[in-house]
Amino acid sequence: MRTLEYLLGAPELRATFWPPVLVGLLVAALCSALSVPVVLKRMAFVGQGVSHAAFGGVGVALALGLIIGAAAHGTGLLAVVTLFCVAAALGIAWLSDRPGARTDTAIGIVLAASMAVGFLLIRAAAARMRASGLPPPPSVESILFGSVLNVGPGDAVLAAAATAAVLALLWWYRRPMLFWAFDESASPAFGVPSRAMRSLLLIVLALAIVVTMRLAGVVLATALLVLPGAAALELTDRLRPVYAIAMAVGVLGVAAGLVLSFEMNWQPGPSIVLALTAMFAAARAASSLRSRRAHPQEKPA
Amino acid sequence: MSDPATNATPAIDYVGVGFAYPRPVAGANGGSVEALRDITLRVEPGERLGILGPNGAGKTTLMRITLGLLPCQRGAVRIFGRTPEQARRERLIGYVPQRSDAELAFPISVRQAVELGPAGRLTGFARLSPDDRRRVEESMSLLGIADLADRPVGKLSGGQFQRTLIARALAVGARVLLLDEPTVGIDVTGQRRFAELLTSLRDRLGVTIVVVSHDLRTIAAASDRVACLSRTLHSHVAPEGLTPAVLAEVFRHDVEGVFGEVHVDAHPAADCDDPAHHHHHHHDHAKGGGA
Repeated sequence: MRTLEYLLGAPELRATFWPPVLVGLLVAALCSALSVPVVLKRMAFVGQGVSHAAFGGVGVALALGLIIGAAAHGTGLLAVVTLFCVAAALGIAWLSDRPGARTDTAIGIVLAASMAVGFLLIRAAAARMRASGLPPPPSVESILFGSVLNVGPGDAVLAAAATAAVLALLWWYRRPMLFWAFDESASPAFGVPSRAMRSLLLIVLALAIVVTMRLAGVVLATALLVLPGAAALELTDRLRPVYAIAMAVGVLGVAAGLVLSFEMNWQPGPSIVLALTAMFAAARAASSLRSRRAHPQEKPA
Repeated sequence: MSDPATNATPAIDYVGVGFAYPRPVAGANGGSVEALRDITLRVEPGERLGILGPNGAGKTTLMRITLGLLPCQRGAVRIFGRTPEQARRERLIGYVPQRSDAELAFPISVRQAVELGPAGRLTGFARLSPDDRRRVEESMSLLGIADLADRPVGKLSGGQFQRTLIARALAVGARVLLLDEPTVGIDVTGQRRFAELLTSLRDRLGVTIVVVSHDLRTIAAASDRVACLSRTLHSHVAPEGLTPAVLAEVFRHDVEGVFGEVHVDAHPAADCDDPAHHHHHHHDHAKGGGA
């Protein structure tokens, strides 16, 4: 078992592998709590758009880093990426708020464009940095699919802070958020600010993606924002159980994915997504089995 | 119910309400699209008013103004003497959206959905007041869904779901119920039962009921008085007064309105000023209670 060796073995190993595990469990809690409103409001594709904007954000951050000479790693990069994601999220909110808007078209365009910009800028920046003897930036592959080695103790602190902040926000606004998710068009008439709720959800979505992408990569971060909620909604139609199951699925899936990643020496992003997908499939199978076996329920009159 | 005409403060008082949307098409030579013109109407407390109008007649605009979600560009609206914004803060109006707008497969119980009425705007540590809690339970019993309180809304029938939405609106302690297209997708028997339900709510709570719909049958069954809306008010009559001539006027006008709205601004609804339909200029002779 490499996992045990990594987590309980020599100090250097522990120093390398504990931060990604901590970050993984934190973002699992964060993303699975968010995944419930994301799935209920059918915002999976919005999340996809925001996370791909993060890729463009990395490119821009690296290019900026070269121009103004600031470190292309660490907090500067993260700050730029965060700004980029929040801007993308609010841009999507603004676009989808317009009458007759085609949200999916807008997201599709933003997504593709930021991937293109990101890829070219990252490549160009990497070449320049190599040429001038700077430490190379993270590889495109590790940005896309995540890497255990991307994640240091600083990331664990950041993930803890972001998780605490987002969960607190979600709890504070739980009732207006619930009303908005349940019945958006009626919510203003009941004093629930629907636009503010949408923006809030998109901003915390962007934050969650930023802290998740170091570990799981931008392409796969959204899986964490969809699969736990989707699995939970297969299993129950009660509010608190939905959240509890989603968080359990998220934490278990990430743990299993990390073990898989350590044992097989796979990248963490794909391993986590595979584990979560397997759990979703199991939930789906369980729910269809149950509904097939269930005695015909009282028919809706 | 006492004769509503004797009451002092009207439940809703529209005086010369007008509204126009900015022209949506860029490059068009400015101007605006008139949605409502000179709406004057007095809704008496305890009355069941139907607002009948085809699509594009301004029903949604009128509802949004009544709910304080759109400003009243011309004229004024008062709800029990308050502005719509005040009325919303004081929760005087309970809004019942079209059933199809709410998410059916949603993981909440009937009670949780009804509680959202008074609780939707609460944040953080704020809790439902005991009064609100009591009203939640009372509203569910009034609508006959108390025994479904713990059922997930996804397992309700259409009619039960609608009762849940009405209970949610009543649970805020509303004195006016505003229902948007309440019978879409409900069969004839269901519509009749629905009308009876509204009557019993009015009789037991004294609540004023405004039903907004394009469906003639709904309006005729659920109203004491009908206002025909097609950008402006054409007439307000007892349901029996909905003669083919009146309806033809309302719906014909709208056919022009629907196609003309975007570019026909040049002759702003000139046919509205047909002298045969000037009821809205002397609104205060409210004709209450049919029969």
